[in-house]
Amino acid sequence: MITPGAALSKSAPLLACIGLLCAWQVASLALQTESFPTALEAIRAVPSILGDKESLVNIGASIRRMAIGLSLAVLFAIPLGLLMGRIKGVASFFNPLLMIIYPVPKAALMPIIMLWMGVGDMSKTLVIFLGVSLPIIYHSFQGGKAVEEKMLWSGAAMGLSAPQRMLRIVLPAALPEILTGCRTGLVLALITMVTSEMIARQSGAGNILFNALDMAQYDTVFAMIIIIGAMGILFDAAFEKLRGWLVRWSKPQHDMPLSFS
Amino acid sequence: MKVVSLRSDVQAEPAALPGVAPAMAMIHIDHVSQRFQTSGRQSHLALSDINLTIEDGAFVSILGPSGCGKSTLLYIVGGFVQPSDGAAKVKGKVITGPGPDRGPVFQEFALFPWKNVLGNVMYGLRQQGVKKTDAEAKSRKLLEMVGLKGYENFYPKELSGGMKQRVAIARTLAYNPAVLLMDEPFGALDAHTRTRLQNDLLTIWERDRKTVLFVTHSVEEAVFLSDKVVVMTRSPGSIKVVVDIDLPRPRKRAELLLDPRYQKYVVDIEKLIDDTGEDEIHA
Amino acid sequence: MNPALNKVLLGITPIALFLALWQSLITFGYAPVTMLPPPGAVFLRLGQQLFTSDFLHEIAATLLRLFAGFGIAVVLGVIIGLAAAVSPAINAVVKPLVRVMAPIPKVALYPALLLILGFDHASKITLVAADALFPILLSTYYGASMVEQKLIWSAMAAGTPRAQILFKVVLPAAMPSILTGCRIGLVISCIVVFLAEMITSTDGLGHMLVQAARTFQTVDMFVPLITISMLGLILNSLLHGLRTYLLRGFPEV
Repeated sequence: MITPGAALSKSAPLLACIGLLCAWQVASLALQTESFPTALEAIRAVPSILGDKESLVNIGASIRRMAIGLSLAVLFAIPLGLLMGRIKGVASFFNPLLMIIYPVPKAALMPIIMLWMGVGDMSKTLVIFLGVSLPIIYHSFQGGKAVEEKMLWSGAAMGLSAPQRMLRIVLPAALPEILTGCRTGLVLALITMVTSEMIARQSGAGNILFNALDMAQYDTVFAMIIIIGAMGILFDAAFEKLRGWLVRWSKPQHDMPLSFS
Repeated sequence: MKVVSLRSDVQAEPAALPGVAPAMAMIHIDHVSQRFQTSGRQSHLALSDINLTIEDGAFVSILGPSGCGKSTLLYIVGGFVQPSDGAAKVKGKVITGPGPDRGPVFQEFALFPWKNVLGNVMYGLRQQGVKKTDAEAKSRKLLEMVGLKGYENFYPKELSGGMKQRVAIARTLAYNPAVLLMDEPFGALDAHTRTRLQNDLLTIWERDRKTVLFVTHSVEEAVFLSDKVVVMTRSPGSIKVVVDIDLPRPRKRAELLLDPRYQKYVVDIEKLIDDTGEDEIHA
Repeated sequence: MNPALNKVLLGITPIALFLALWQSLITFGYAPVTMLPPPGAVFLRLGQQLFTSDFLHEIAATLLRLFAGFGIAVVLGVIIGLAAAVSPAINAVVKPLVRVMAPIPKVALYPALLLILGFDHASKITLVAADALFPILLSTYYGASMVEQKLIWSAMAAGTPRAQILFKVVLPAAMPSILTGCRIGLVISCIVVFLAEMITSTDGLGHMLVQAARTFQTVDMFVPLITISMLGLILNSLLHGLRTYLLRGFPEV
């Protein structure tokens, strides 16, 4: 049995989406400008984008770059962050460098990296990798630092060597925090992907958006916004499901990570 | 380095038991001092010239005011902390690091939160290379012994403090260490749970008589459980006196609490602590 | 050996290595100067530009958008965050909305903002505000909902009227968390304003970078990038200083 209250709270995000679309509809009807189509018009334009082979290939390529960039960042950032969390010297070595890199707009490196590596997948993937790494490093660092000393001692008393403790105690113990970083990273990967494509204007989802803007196809612009927005919401929800399952043993945390942190 | 000789005048009392043959000694703490670096160039002497011998199968409690370094002493025996001076030995061998011959039980439980109860107890056995089915059978038996049958698949977050500590004790007993190192194990529990765990610990201990080093700040707990109570002074921590608790075993709580000998031990030791604890006000 | 000094030296090492690597790529001919200008040239150009009125004008345009957007985000974030923490009814509305809107890449809304608000300041300021809003809102919300009930009871027992509890107890108690959110939001603002200017603008630091990229002036591409990063660092540390000052009574935060 599902109680009405639980059903309401389950469907609340969906209701929120509908509410936002309604607000959009009303705003656009009130403003009555040609360049601001109603929500219904935009939604009607979605199938034509998703039905178009070229657009699909473009969006697919975007997602592939995002997946590769994010995976590379995860493989690189988690071990580095955990080492920083457990070994003081490693933390002192990397922290100032990371602090300086932190406020650099990573997507803004796009023109420079394009100069070196061309406009291909490599540059875009590299920019996504750079954009995503920092929050994952930061959260892995915090997670690794917070692992209870006594837990490591218990492991040592059982005969676990230092590398074993790293893999079998620090990694699982820090996992909730690491996954919080990965969730931020996922959203950030999408942001960096769209931004870099808007700046480079070669291919991808961000490019479709601005091409449509240039050609005054306003329905397409807003439809593409819906698609990218939906990608953000769906990726985040899917990852949250996965995270909840992976760390079902841990105490529940904040249900929204502070993005970028 | 010279601190050792300076404190030698206090050494008469602890009675390093020179007569006891080293072969009989399970743990031998030999002129151990511990200095901690505080801010800048300052350092703080936490333990000063500790000498203590613990025989095989003895239940020894270390008692003292908070901040007297009693936990640090336990960590040194565990091999988690290296002493600045002197050495601790187990079965005649100098302790250089943690090992499965000395199993810790912490006040903070330190269970692995990503493993369920059974997984926690099996962890050490699997680490020792015990086959999975054997490890599981042994762990289930241990869990039954500590009164947690039926909780095998629970995660630590679903357990109360007392249950967590029962799991932690089972987890350590599982890999059968020669020495149990208990660091205020019942300090975070409520009075009722605490009493029950003391009783259960005593029952388990009287069955196989492992060597136990037990740190606590409760006089009643120390007298109730131990063969010997080591009373420490604070800042720098040193041994004030070692009291032999000459009470019959197996001990029953209901009888013991009424026993005038038990009551006298408690009152006497409390007096000793009062003498050492006067500077607590200045802390 | 002084451990504090050691730590600083250890931290400077990778930065020095990075600069040395950059320089040696050019010195040993792996990278032509047209592709990668030497670090010395970049910082020299930065020093020269810093006092020209044109450059200061660009910085001013960027800062105007940055502070306007960030300011809106702080006001809205703190108000909505507090309201959601205090009132269950508002919470029921805000929570699902935030859940849905936070993971949307706000930059994708930029074309829509351009169409609705025009190509001038307003669209960029709105984008900055939209991006900085959520970290501030969320940390305010968590900070305010973590306030100890007993703190509120103590204040009420001491005679604080119900209506003043929010400003006299909840807001100050949530301050550490709010200021942390503000620091995150500020750095995001710096990044977003720069990117928005890169995507479409006629002035500002981001526009400078795009302009330089079109004419392949590599030195001039690095200058605005380093400037915005330094602005981010400076503003971040100013806010950190403010935070330390405001929170001097709090236990280690």
